[in-house]
Amino acid sequence: MKNQVWRNDLLAGLFLLPFFIVYMVFTIFPIFKGLQMSFFEWTLIEQGEFVGFSQYTSLFTDPDFWSSLWNTTFFVLLSTPGMIILALILALLANINVGSKLRTFLRGSYFIPSILSVSVISYIAIFMLQPYSGIVNNIINSLGYEQQVFWLTNPTMAWISIVGVTLWWTVGFNMILFLTSLQDIPDNYYEAAEIDGATRWQMFKSITLPQLVPISRVILLLQVLASFKVFAQILLITDGGPGTATRPLIQYIYEMGFERYDLGYAAAMSYVLFFILLVLSIFQLRSGGQGGRMI
Amino acid sequence: MSKGANSTLLQRNRDPFIRIKMLMGIILASVFLFPIIWMLFVSIKPEDMSITDPIKWFLPPYTFTNYLSVMAESDVLLWLWNSAFIGIATTILTLIVTSLAAFAISKIKFRYKKFIFLFFLAGMMVPGEATIIPLFEIVKSMNMLDTYAGLILPMVASPIGVIILKSFFDGVPDELMESAKIDGCSHWRLYWNIVLPLAKPAMAAIAIFTFIGSWNNFLWPFLAIVSEELYTLPIGIPSFNSTYSTTYVLPMTVNAVASIPVIIAFLIFEKQIVKGVSFTGIKG
Repeated sequence: MKNQVWRNDLLAGLFLLPFFIVYMVFTIFPIFKGLQMSFFEWTLIEQGEFVGFSQYTSLFTDPDFWSSLWNTTFFVLLSTPGMIILALILALLANINVGSKLRTFLRGSYFIPSILSVSVISYIAIFMLQPYSGIVNNIINSLGYEQQVFWLTNPTMAWISIVGVTLWWTVGFNMILFLTSLQDIPDNYYEAAEIDGATRWQMFKSITLPQLVPISRVILLLQVLASFKVFAQILLITDGGPGTATRPLIQYIYEMGFERYDLGYAAAMSYVLFFILLVLSIFQLRSGGQGGRMI
Repeated sequence: MSKGANSTLLQRNRDPFIRIKMLMGIILASVFLFPIIWMLFVSIKPEDMSITDPIKWFLPPYTFTNYLSVMAESDVLLWLWNSAFIGIATTILTLIVTSLAAFAISKIKFRYKKFIFLFFLAGMMVPGEATIIPLFEIVKSMNMLDTYAGLILPMVASPIGVIILKSFFDGVPDELMESAKIDGCSHWRLYWNIVLPLAKPAMAAIAIFTFIGSWNNFLWPFLAIVSEELYTLPIGIPSFNSTYSTTYVLPMTVNAVASIPVIIAFLIFEKQIVKGVSFTGIKG
């Protein structure tokens, strides 16, 4: 009997081993390695001396750290409402009662930018938003507004452009989540309401919206988590500019590590980011999103 | 899909705004498609075009020579190959390691199972972006920077894959397993011949997600690739496009070359992709 227990342990171990190795080396070990690095002077070439908490203390007085952390937060605040409201509107439109061909077309159109590479969407945006020759300005001009809009070189416009491009690129994910949830609402809820003589608006307000609350919570948290990791599209579209007006935290971490070769400091900042994201995902798990639904 | 259709079928003639909603839906769809359509049209314009009248971007003359030019002037075919190879390798390895682990957790009785599963679950909370600096050091010390292995292996350990497959395997009735065992099936054969074939839909969803994630991955290749021979599309495209600022035609052609395969794949696999999104709720 005891033999059997051991045999099963060994067998399970063999099945688990491949995943366990890659998981330990590339997911778990970096957490500890990062902590170690944040306590050392560390260049791209070599490990320097132990400096204790000094990189963390200098981080708190580094205005560039704070401004890039603020930029990331600002991006989250700017983009999240649109990411949710627009996604809901698109899902409602993609769920209207017309032929299934049109519905599939609408759903596909809203979702298709999400599958394009960040590099592709960034360069489409850069070229469409050029002053003088870009098609967005051309359209605005032909509508009668004769001036040039400097989409990427004015700080306010740069933020609008980045948020707009990100909305276009990724809102389709949230739209699909809303859409699935809409289609999961049992038909008899509506039938019963209809028999009771409810108007369409009443049905929307007291059936559809309440039924969407759980998924909205999941989307909100997934969205905040994803937006906090913003990097590539900003790097490619504005390079954090004009100046450092749109530079997010991950770009500052990258610049510290790979342009100024201060990996130790970059690791300390990564740890702050790690902590923020960890707190957010604990929130997410507790509210039953993502994994919670599956287990 | 059918449910939504029925619920609204009931009220078909009663929605006074149906036409307005349809119109809004179509207008928004055009806005979403517009940049992609513009990109495709620019890619077939003659190279020296300078256009200020927006409608002219979409009118003839057309030419396909840009596609030949970008293949000659850039390494776009190499990037395409690298992205495809890395994507396929990452996907296959992910499916293998996650399904093996999920099988053990779902179908084998062993000690500390709960603990190990929770330990894997915890990985979902580790944000890759925040551990990318130490990951760089680790991959460097393994001499895997700037290699295919260094690009592929760190992306393989997907806790969400284990979770999805585990819940799918849980649905395979234990009686089926027991009767197979009595027939002398080894655990390996149970995994390979019985459980895996039943989990095809879940495997497909994970495969599609892993592949799209790898295909579009930017940050890690951006740090881990030095040699141009290893450039993937997301890394190669900016290196080529950033050298242009006034003429759009070649950059948009490169974009089109990179996008047409995924657009076609999307049109073929749309159902599975949409199901995958709603099934997992993962962000790309």
